Amino acid sequence: MIWLPFLVSEHWWDLRDLGNLSREILELIERGLGSEVAYIVSPLIGFVASFLLFVLPTQLYLGVYGERRLIGRMQSRLGPNRVGKFGLLQPIADAIKLIQKEAITPRGADRWVMWTAPVVFVAPAVLVWAVIPFGPNMVIADLPTGLVYYLAVAALPVLAAFMAGWSSNNKYSLFGAMRVVAMAISYEVALVLALLGVVLFTQTLSLQEIILWQRDLDIWLVFLQPLAFIIYFISASAELNRTPTDIAEAESEIVAGYLTEYSGMKWGLFYGMDIGYAIAAAAFGSTVFLGGWSFFGLEEWVPPWLILIVKTQLFYFVFIWTRGTLPRLRIDQLMGLAWKYLLPLAAVNLLVVAAERLWWKEAELGDGIVYLFAAINIVLAVVLLVGWARALGYRPERVRTRPRLVKEPLGYVPADSSAGGGQ
Amino acid sequence: MAATRWWSGHELAKLAQELVPGSVERADDVAAYFRAETLVETMRALRDSDDGDFVYLINLCAADYWSRFEVVYHIASLQKNHAAVAKVEVFDRENPVVPSVVPVWYGAWMQECEAYDLFGIRFEGHPKLYRILLWEGFPGWPLRKDFLSLPGGIQPGLNEFSGTARREPPPVRYVE
Amino acid sequence: MTEIRSEPFVVNIGPQHPSTHGVFRIKATVDGERVIDAEMVMGYLHRSIEKLAEERTYTQNIPFTDRTDYLSSMSNNLGYCLAVEKLAGIEVPPRGNAIRVIMAELQRLASHCMAIGAFANDTGAWQTPVMWTFRERERILDLFEMTSGARLTCNYMRIGGVAFDLPKDFVPACRKVIERFPAFIDELHGLLSENEIFIARTKGIGVITAEQAINASLSGPMLRGSGVAWDIRKADPYCGYEQYDFDIPVGENGDSYDRFIVRLEEMRQSVRIIEQALDGLPGGPFRTEVPLALRPPKGEAYARVEGPRGELGYYVVSDGGPSPFRFHIRPPSFINLSLLKEMTVGGTVADAIVVLGSIDIVVGEIDR
Repeated sequence: MIWLPFLVSEHWWDLRDLGNLSREILELIERGLGSEVAYIVSPLIGFVASFLLFVLPTQLYLGVYGERRLIGRMQSRLGPNRVGKFGLLQPIADAIKLIQKEAITPRGADRWVMWTAPVVFVAPAVLVWAVIPFGPNMVIADLPTGLVYYLAVAALPVLAAFMAGWSSNNKYSLFGAMRVVAMAISYEVALVLALLGVVLFTQTLSLQEIILWQRDLDIWLVFLQPLAFIIYFISASAELNRTPTDIAEAESEIVAGYLTEYSGMKWGLFYGMDIGYAIAAAAFGSTVFLGGWSFFGLEEWVPPWLILIVKTQLFYFVFIWTRGTLPRLRIDQLMGLAWKYLLPLAAVNLLVVAAERLWWKEAELGDGIVYLFAAINIVLAVVLLVGWARALGYRPERVRTRPRLVKEPLGYVPADSSAGGGQ
Repeated sequence: MAATRWWSGHELAKLAQELVPGSVERADDVAAYFRAETLVETMRALRDSDDGDFVYLINLCAADYWSRFEVVYHIASLQKNHAAVAKVEVFDRENPVVPSVVPVWYGAWMQECEAYDLFGIRFEGHPKLYRILLWEGFPGWPLRKDFLSLPGGIQPGLNEFSGTARREPPPVRYVE
Repeated sequence: MTEIRSEPFVVNIGPQHPSTHGVFRIKATVDGERVIDAEMVMGYLHRSIEKLAEERTYTQNIPFTDRTDYLSSMSNNLGYCLAVEKLAGIEVPPRGNAIRVIMAELQRLASHCMAIGAFANDTGAWQTPVMWTFRERERILDLFEMTSGARLTCNYMRIGGVAFDLPKDFVPACRKVIERFPAFIDELHGLLSENEIFIARTKGIGVITAEQAINASLSGPMLRGSGVAWDIRKADPYCGYEQYDFDIPVGENGDSYDRFIVRLEEMRQSVRIIEQALDGLPGGPFRTEVPLALRPPKGEAYARVEGPRGELGYYVVSDGGPSPFRFHIRPPSFINLSLLKEMTVGGTVADAIVVLGSIDIVVGEIDR
């Protein structure tokens, strides 16, 4: 049992900073096989570390197993608990079942497009993890434009979904495909504007720098820009086709939307990567808004990748929670939400943030001013959210939630109400 | 909270005769038998009248009595809480035709389609008469008494109790 | 460069669909997302019950009535037995009536549980309301199994009363189930009726005015949701309903949301009725004896009950023999579908599903 000192050290066996381990391995390879091989091996190590060690277990165990158990508990039933102790082998059983299943391709479907759609769906799910920092030294590619990279790559699955819907020779799939494209376009705009507000403060697009900025100022961007966070949450939920915005795959209306004709492992890839994208969005949200691998100084004692994973899982838990509870919105309501509600809010947010930023830098106020900004922004967020909804005509108190009770069958509407009589 | 008062056939016949003279064929205790020609007019008058106020069509169905078809209308008034039974008799078995009351009560639409589907009674003036439960091209009219007849007037079925499944001898033996 | 044309196309909603409540098909002509025409195709479950009933005795037809509206079999049985009793002039003892009322109201609770769960499912709440309502429905089905031996197709009512007497532990078990119900209805209220997304999905969808409803012979929660206060239990009481004190919930606008809250409230009222019936349960015989092959005198009778879906009527014609001469069911779901086209045209496909859910159809009844 190795006694780990409190602060993260440079020893290769200090797993709290996996960069140590990878550095040792790479130096070994460089000495042994040359620097070109080391150059090639380094992204492989990154892939293994991030995707296989962090993402895939989280995806399987929180995404597949955890989601089903949690939603089961919300629905007052047990989730899967037969396969293995407490049902923990359920994702493995699912994977085995899907692999051995026949993936039927309908006759009139466009075979090549239908077969490549899952591939196009899976590839960005893996690529997107390249920019998420797991720790101070643990990021595969610390791109100076990490945020834009993430947004770009996370928009690729829309193409795959559209390909999937179009190529299945099925009207329901076409419905789903069209809905996916319409939704993605609408919510992407709101998403980018919200994140732009974040960037105005942090003055950088690199995700590692954003985390360092949050760590230096000792405040999370969620408090500093709550409106951007809410817009990000709703837009990400919409991009990922999760209830309440899952009209693209709305089971009760268009049977499975763009996935109707998919079965077997092709469907399994879509399903699994759907969760993968959701976890990537959760990780990205944790990075940008919740401080990533930093936790007000705790990251020097506890492995930072663990902190990030915990935040990701909490974020994802909120996704699961809304999925289990809320009904689905209709397409025109969703479009209305994106264009009429979120977009103006994001624009106003941008305006406010820009003004604050200008004041901060022009008047050369110290860094303590961010707490004042946080307070102002929180109040402003609440006011704007509620006020804009009211301005758009949303009046929840006007809905009568109990019917009238009548003693006698009169055959017509009792007085004091609209619609005429029974003659 | 009194129970619905079911009018006797004579009462209904009297009211119908007042509203549209010549509309009633005959009446007995249960129902008033209307003439097919003035049916729609009579029903509309009954619906719009103050005494009758029969705004609600409870039930529309047909029955096959070997020598005739009967289309039965159970009509009611919600506010006055009374109901009545009206019937129309059709004696033509080859091509039974009854005027449609869909212009009077919209709720008759699907029930008339069903009567057409199962009995073959055509409703004149129905906006879209089609075989609602069975499919277009189904041979025969299932609920007629001579559908699936066997020789001797026996109907298929359990035939366990004496008297079941033995009816008056049918005028037509086999279904074309 | 080819021109892009857009044209309406026909989508089949059903017969195999998670949300059509059975094998029922709507041929919707859709332009983008707007429905411009909707045609119903039914008959996938047509079993010709009306013809089959003409070959069986009156008592043998009771299981047939179970299977028309299989989600409310007690009410179906009750309607049929009432029609035959009217025809044959048979009196039911008070205990039989009280048991009938308890069973009919329990059945209404179970059926509304299913209806509300399925309706919420249609709006997209991923089975959470369904699971909650089915949890309660299971308890009621346990009660049915205790009394009649079957959960779904109970075959419990007989001509002249009920088939078996209530078992000894029925009344305490029933009270236990009923006690929890108001809390459960409040739970559902909090989950659904006050949920903004649910309201946004169901308000203003599928509006029917009171005149349209009366003219189209609608009944049940559809009629009451449109503001017409008509309930057969009050207007034409049977089985002693006049002794119980309950209210009729009436909606306002006639949209899907109103029908939903009317159903929720009806559940509350059913609980009241059952409590009163349990309190005043008389002793004595539960059935009058009728011969095995009952031969009612020649004539006809129409009897109706307030089923969970609306007015369920049975028109029975007797020719003096042991089997009915004509056996016709007046199915509420069939007639409630009259206005489906008016309700769905102009909305989106999602709205069509919500409307179908709010009508609460059971295909066994539509097709018979």
